[in-house]
Amino acid sequence: MASSKVTGHPAARAAQQPGRSDEMALVERCRRGDLMAFEEVYRTHAGRLYSLTCRMLGNPADAEDLLQEIFLAAHRKLETFRGESALGTWLYRLATNLCLDHLRSRAGRANQVTDALDDERAIPTVGRRGLADQSVTKMDLERALARLPEGCRAAFILHDVEGLEHREVAEVLGIAEGTSKSQVHKARLRLRALLSGE
Amino acid sequence: MNCRQYNDAIQELVDGTLGAIRRAELEQHLGQCEDCRKLLADLTKIRDVARTFERLTPPDRAWLQIAGRLRQAGRIQSAAATADSRYQRYAILAIAAALLLAVAGSLFVLLPRFRGGEASPAPSSAQQTNRGNAAGDDAVQSVETEFRLAEQHYQNAIAKLEEAAHSNQSAIDPQTAAMLQKNLQIIDQAIAESRSALKAEPQSVPARDSLFEGLRRKVGLLQDTIALMNEMRKGNAAGAAQIVEGANKS
Repeated sequence: MASSKVTGHPAARAAQQPGRSDEMALVERCRRGDLMAFEEVYRTHAGRLYSLTCRMLGNPADAEDLLQEIFLAAHRKLETFRGESALGTWLYRLATNLCLDHLRSRAGRANQVTDALDDERAIPTVGRRGLADQSVTKMDLERALARLPEGCRAAFILHDVEGLEHREVAEVLGIAEGTSKSQVHKARLRLRALLSGE
Repeated sequence: MNCRQYNDAIQELVDGTLGAIRRAELEQHLGQCEDCRKLLADLTKIRDVARTFERLTPPDRAWLQIAGRLRQAGRIQSAAATADSRYQRYAILAIAAALLLAVAGSLFVLLPRFRGGEASPAPSSAQQTNRGNAAGDDAVQSVETEFRLAEQHYQNAIAKLEEAAHSNQSAIDPQTAAMLQKNLQIIDQAIAESRSALKAEPQSVPARDSLFEGLRRKVGLLQDTIALMNEMRKGNAAGAAQIVEGANKS
């Protein structure tokens, strides 16, 4: 039975933020143009954001370029950071939006986060055996992940890979908590179908 | 049996958010439905594999490029400009003071030679060879020409360094700039005194040596000043300290 709590996810534990006042002090130093302070922000969050961009874009070279854009945009937008959410969440949101913008510009589509959500009612059906005893490797799952619609891919990465709770995924993606749940659930069903070769 | 109504519960069980009552209900259903048991097993497997994905590390160059682009865009202030904190301000002043000590120390031996009639240059070899022969005159002329060329070389280098230091002066705060200016004035004073001594005793080797030493020190200080400005602009107090250490050793 699946019973472990999402909050027990190692990535979720690693994502724990420093105190909000410490964070605001760090942000204030960044705003004043203190490069060492901004490097501290980078060192704390770059790994998570690079992992997200790599998995969203499916290409390390593009992910590296986008990581630069994310941090340059973050430096510009820090003026607007009011500490209403954790800095990590704020950066995730910025990164996810830039990832989705990037993917849309590749596909030449519109520019709303919610446009990328999986609205398809029909999830491919899976035969009675499902995955059965078939082993699923990380590589299999990475490949299948790259084939998901962008919105549900982002929700799945944030929730199941990065260990965010649905409330946090909703905050990052600017969607309702219920929508986060449905997107993650759809992603899992699609992944099951892709992995079972249906 | 309608399994569809249990799909959300299965997903929530995988999420770890299913409440006790609905969980008991689901477990009862799972006991009778193989398809739902398979669905639960598959979704759990997918979630478990997803949790093993490694955290990826961006290449080191990524930060260097970000920092470079921020500097290029003028979004990073120099250490002096961001030095609101007393610590940073005092650190910079201490660096400038250390430079002053390094220069003043090096000039301590240099200056007294030409003060208050103490300038007593020993007869130079050029002077000795000058006595009463034409070959000696040629040799003196040659040394004189080389001396002028060397002095010109130093003056050109100093002019270029002064220009570079002047154009980068915004990198340091006014107090630090004033201290560095004072250092340069000390060296300029030593150079001027060496020139006076040379005017009185054109063939004095110690006077020439002192002049070259003064010029060399001025070039060195200007180079250190420019390097210090660069490190301060980068906010690198450690790098600035290294420059001071180097200046002390020179």
